[in-house]
Amino acid sequence: MARAFNPHYRLPQKLRWLLGAASFLLPVLLWCAVSYLPFVWHPQIKITDPGGVSYFEADMRTDRATFELEKSNMTAQHLAMPQGIAANPVYLPAPHEVVRAFYTAFTTPPAQADDPWLHQSLWHSVKLVFYAFFISSIIGVPLGILSGTSPVISRLTEPFVEFFRYLPAPAFGALMVAILGIYDGPKIAIIVIGTLFQQILIIANTTRKLDVGLMEAALTLGASRRRLLTRVVVPGILPDLYRDQRILLGWAWTYLIVAELIGTSSGITWFITQQARYQHFDNVYAAIIMIGLIGLGIDLLLAWLGHRLFPWDKSR
Amino acid sequence: MSLLSPKFTRRTFLISAILCSTISTAYAAPLKIGYSDWPGWVAWQIAIDKGWIKQAGVDASFQWFDYSASLEAFAAGKLDAVLATNGDTLVTGSAGGRGTMILATDYSSGNDMIIGKAGIKSLKDLVGQSVAVETGLVDHLLLINGLKKAGIAENAIKLVNAKTNELPQILASGSVSAIGAWQPVAGQALKATAGAHPLYTSADEPGLIYDVLAVSPNSLNKNRADWIKLTQVWDKVVTYINDPKTQSDALKIMAQRSGGGITPESYKKLLYGTHLLNLADNQAVMVKAKGFKSLYGSTYFVDKFNVNQGIYRTAQNVDSYIDPKLVQGK
Repeated sequence: MARAFNPHYRLPQKLRWLLGAASFLLPVLLWCAVSYLPFVWHPQIKITDPGGVSYFEADMRTDRATFELEKSNMTAQHLAMPQGIAANPVYLPAPHEVVRAFYTAFTTPPAQADDPWLHQSLWHSVKLVFYAFFISSIIGVPLGILSGTSPVISRLTEPFVEFFRYLPAPAFGALMVAILGIYDGPKIAIIVIGTLFQQILIIANTTRKLDVGLMEAALTLGASRRRLLTRVVVPGILPDLYRDQRILLGWAWTYLIVAELIGTSSGITWFITQQARYQHFDNVYAAIIMIGLIGLGIDLLLAWLGHRLFPWDKSR
Repeated sequence: MSLLSPKFTRRTFLISAILCSTISTAYAAPLKIGYSDWPGWVAWQIAIDKGWIKQAGVDASFQWFDYSASLEAFAAGKLDAVLATNGDTLVTGSAGGRGTMILATDYSSGNDMIIGKAGIKSLKDLVGQSVAVETGLVDHLLLINGLKKAGIAENAIKLVNAKTNELPQILASGSVSAIGAWQPVAGQALKATAGAHPLYTSADEPGLIYDVLAVSPNSLNKNRADWIKLTQVWDKVVTYINDPKTQSDALKIMAQRSGGGITPESYKKLLYGTHLLNLADNQAVMVKAKGFKSLYGSTYFVDKFNVNQGIYRTAQNVDSYIDPKLVQGK
C-alpha cells in the first residue's frame, strides 16, 4: 500500500495495462448503470400511450410528478390512463444508442447531395487543427526558444505575450471574418490565437530549465552564440519541447469548436450543432467521442514516435 | 519599331485581351448570399437544387451559415447579401453594415412564439413572473408587442436574457414561466416540456416580423439586373411550394437542407408558420404605409422598438433601407 502512493514506484507492466483499461471501464460502467438500471436514476417517464391526456404524445418525456398527476386526473374523469416507461432525460442516451449512432453517422449519406459525408467533415476539422498548429509552431517554437535563452528577447516579448494570452480567442471572431473572409481563414486564425501565446510562454520556460552547467561548459569550450543555440540548447530541450508540443496540440483541439462556428458552417462542429438543435443527443455524444478518439489516437502515435526519437530521455 | 508594325499591334491586342478577360472574371465573381435555417430562407434551396438560378442567367453562390454568423459576415462586407429579419437589417445597418431590402421572402405567421409552461393560461398570468428571451432579437419584440396588447406594463414581468438555442432547456428546468423563441427551437421547447404551449405567436400579429433579402448597396448598384432576376426566381420558388402538386417535393428539399433529423411531414408545420410572399405580394407590402401590412410600417415599428430598448441610439432612416422597385422589375 505504501508503494501505491510513492510517485517513483514503477508499476508492473501488466498492472499498468489493467489500471489503464479500468480508467475507461469505470466511467462506462457508471454510464451503463445509470442507463440500464431504472432504480438508479430515471427521473422521467417516456410516454408510450397518451391515453386521455390531451397534451401528451407518444415518445414525449415528462417528469414523474406530472405523469402521476395526470394519471389521477384521468381516473377522476373516467378517461383512459396514460402509459409510460421510466426513462432518463433526452440528453442522456444509453451507451448502445450512442454506439449505434457512431456507426450510422458514418454510413448515412449526407442529406444534401453537395454536403460532405461525416468522414469528410472530420477530415476538414483535422486539417484545420493541423494547419493552425503548424502556423502557431512556426512562430511559437523559435520565439519561445529565443525568449528562453536571451533575457533581452524575453523582456521584449514576454510581457506582451502574458497580456495577450488572457484575451479570449473567440472574441476575435467577427474581426477575423472581416480580415480573412468567411471560409477557413478566420477559423485557423482563432485556433492560432488560442494556441500561440501559451506556446511561446511554455516553450520559453522549458528552455530556461535547461541545465546551466551544459551551457557554461559549451561556452568554456569556445562555442559561438549560434553554435550554443543549435548544438546545445535545442538538442538539450528537444524531448521536453516535444512533450510540450503534444500538450499544446490538445489545446488547439479545444479551440476547434469555437473556431468552426465562425463564418460558413463546416466540419464536425456543424454536425454537432445541427444534431443538438433537433435533440439527437446520441449523435452529439458520438461526435464528441470521435473527437476524443482522434485526439487520443494522435497523441499515442506521437508518444510512440517520441520513444523512437529520444531514446535517451529518461524523464518519462 | 513603328507603332503600326504588325508585331506591336498584335501584342497590344493580346495584352488588352488578357486585361479584359481578367477584368471580366473579376467582375463576374458569383454573388455571395448568406442563408440559414429559417423556413422562409431554406426555401431558396429549391431554386438552388433545381438549377433555376443558373437558368435565370445569374451566377450566385448561397453560403450556409449559423444565423448570427451570417450577419457578422455581411456586416464585415464578405457577403453581397444576407437573409435576415427587417429588424436585424436595421441593427446591422446602424453599425455600418448597410443592407438594402429588395425582397420580402415572408412574414412570420406562427413560427415565432411566446411559450408558457403548464398552468400559465395567458400572457396575463405572466405578471410578476420570469420570462426568458434573447433580448434585442425578434421574439423580444414579439413579447413586448403581446404585453402591450394585453394591457400589461413591460416592467410587470421579469425579463431574463438567454441564448435562443438554450431556451428549451431553460423552460424545461422550470426556472422561468415562459420563453420566447422561433422555429425550429420553439418546437423543441414544446416537445421537451410537458404541458408547455404557445401563449402568443406571430400569427396573432402577422407582419410584425418580416424576413427579407438585404443586399449591400454596392453590389445592388453594380449588379442590379442580376438582383432583379433573383426576385423573379423567388416568385417561382413560392409557386412551387404553394402548388399542392409539387409541395411534397418542395418539403423534401427543405427538410434535407435543415440537416438530417427532421421529416418532410414535420417540416410542413414549420412551413405553415411562415407566410411566403410572391412577387405580387411583395409589390403590395412594399408600399409606404403605417401598420403591419406594409414592410415600411413594420420596419418603422421595429426601428422605434430598437431605439427604446437601447439596441441602437438614433432612429434609422427606414425609407433608405428599402428599395421597392426591384420587385417591379425596375
